[in-house]
Amino acid sequence: MVSLLMKTIFMSKQNLSLLEILIDDISFVNWAKNQNQNDVAFWNNWIEKHPDKIETVFNAKAIVLGIQFDKTKLSESKIERELSHVLAQLEPEKNSPKSKKITSKAFKYIAITAVLVLMVTFGYSFLPTNTTVTHKTVFGEIIDLKLPDGTSVVLNGNSEISYDKTSPRNINLSGEAYFKVKSIPSTKAKFWVNTKDLKVEVFGTQFHVSTRDNKTGVLLDEGSIELLLDDGTTQKMIPGELVSYSKDDKAITHDKVTQDLSYSLWREGTYIFNNTTVYEVMKNVEQAYGMKTEFIDEELKDQKLTGGIPNQNLKICLSAIEKSTGTRIVVKDKRLLIFKN
Amino acid sequence: MNTSSEKPLWQLFIEGDKNAFSSLFKTYYSQLYSYGLKISSDQFITEDCLQSFFIYLHKNRRNLGEVNNVKSYLFISFRRAVLKSLKKERLFTSFEESLESSQSFGFSPEELKIEQEISNTKNTTLVILLNSLSTRQREVVYLKYYSGLSIEDTAEVMDISYQSVLNTLQKAFTKLRSEILDHEISAVLKKT
Repeated sequence: MVSLLMKTIFMSKQNLSLLEILIDDISFVNWAKNQNQNDVAFWNNWIEKHPDKIETVFNAKAIVLGIQFDKTKLSESKIERELSHVLAQLEPEKNSPKSKKITSKAFKYIAITAVLVLMVTFGYSFLPTNTTVTHKTVFGEIIDLKLPDGTSVVLNGNSEISYDKTSPRNINLSGEAYFKVKSIPSTKAKFWVNTKDLKVEVFGTQFHVSTRDNKTGVLLDEGSIELLLDDGTTQKMIPGELVSYSKDDKAITHDKVTQDLSYSLWREGTYIFNNTTVYEVMKNVEQAYGMKTEFIDEELKDQKLTGGIPNQNLKICLSAIEKSTGTRIVVKDKRLLIFKN
Repeated sequence: MNTSSEKPLWQLFIEGDKNAFSSLFKTYYSQLYSYGLKISSDQFITEDCLQSFFIYLHKNRRNLGEVNNVKSYLFISFRRAVLKSLKKERLFTSFEESLESSQSFGFSPEELKIEQEISNTKNTTLVILLNSLSTRQREVVYLKYYSGLSIEDTAEVMDISYQSVLNTLQKAFTKLRSEILDHEISAVLKKT
């Protein structure tokens, strides 16, 4: 096999590139996977003789090995259910009014904005049926969602919302999200956001909820909402107010927020900081990318920063921070080391 | 299922056999669902599209033309259907735009097997590196390694040439390899 292959390689003046030949060659694949001693020896020897080809060889090896995915499969029952939906719509060959989900009709939103930040599990558990719908973001990813009732949600990175299909206006959240709740004037149906610490009750508004830092923060832009705390008490919120609560220490804080707050702007893909310390800024980065910050030069912590930092790409994000603060940030493993420049 | 065993099934489906249709549905629903979700990041759009897609297939089964490879045919047409619906939904002017400006093909650590042959880097890191690739590079990686399509089929699905898939793969892995190396070096430095 080896000699045949040598021939292939050296006779292939045709259009085939070395890379193409390698990834289709059984002997090479064996070498890449460390599988056959003869092939391993042959290719090690070959590489030694062709040092100029090493880049291609290792790229070919990477392509052969690839990325191993753990594929998620939908449950059989889910597929059966979807199938029966589709079959039901096939029967009458002629009529075709398909069930369409409401998508982009102009809704009247009453403004609610809430940020929930908390990296913990929900206080509300639900039955282990597969009627639960979950949306999850990875680090640095922001997604726009439309819930079945017409409510819009912008989910920040490293966050998750879930709800039972039968009650799409009762949402569980961990992480950070912005809600634009569709009001339903006819039924006055409420909308709930549950976090580990509390429950936000609304009729239709825009708000921002965040469950990071082991507490839940809710920021109300417009309209009115009520917070149901886990100690049984309730708190009414007024627009422009930021309330934080942690069930661990039962501490509740009220803050009046000014316009240029950093809270809700992440959903445009940018964190806005106004005279914020580098320490606070790095906290945001930690949450969004799952990293840990280490200040090698401690005094940098208190340095102030003003401006927008893009939050969807770590590299760009860090270089923006470096530029505006004159620091140097080194990524090591999952740590961000901050030096004076 | 390999290509040859699918052809008779496809033929039966074309002839209107409900069981063949159901069997195709069950075989491909999950795979197409994951693919659609990766493109749109939206469960509702994906489910909606997938329903309409299968209904469309059934309705137009006699006009689908020659289908050589059922799997890549389904991937190609479903991809088009999702992009079309995203274009409508998000008011993008072109397919390309809806792919580029979206967060398509983001990966999460849970989707990766713990053991990766390519490196010893932690999966949380590998995912960050994967997600820093371009959308096209991520789609190629997804189709080749997640959906298990060949390079030829990947090219067909993405409507690009065999050579561009190869180039895209090569660029993606050049970048991954160099960044994995950086990570490994800094991890070693950190220890000493």
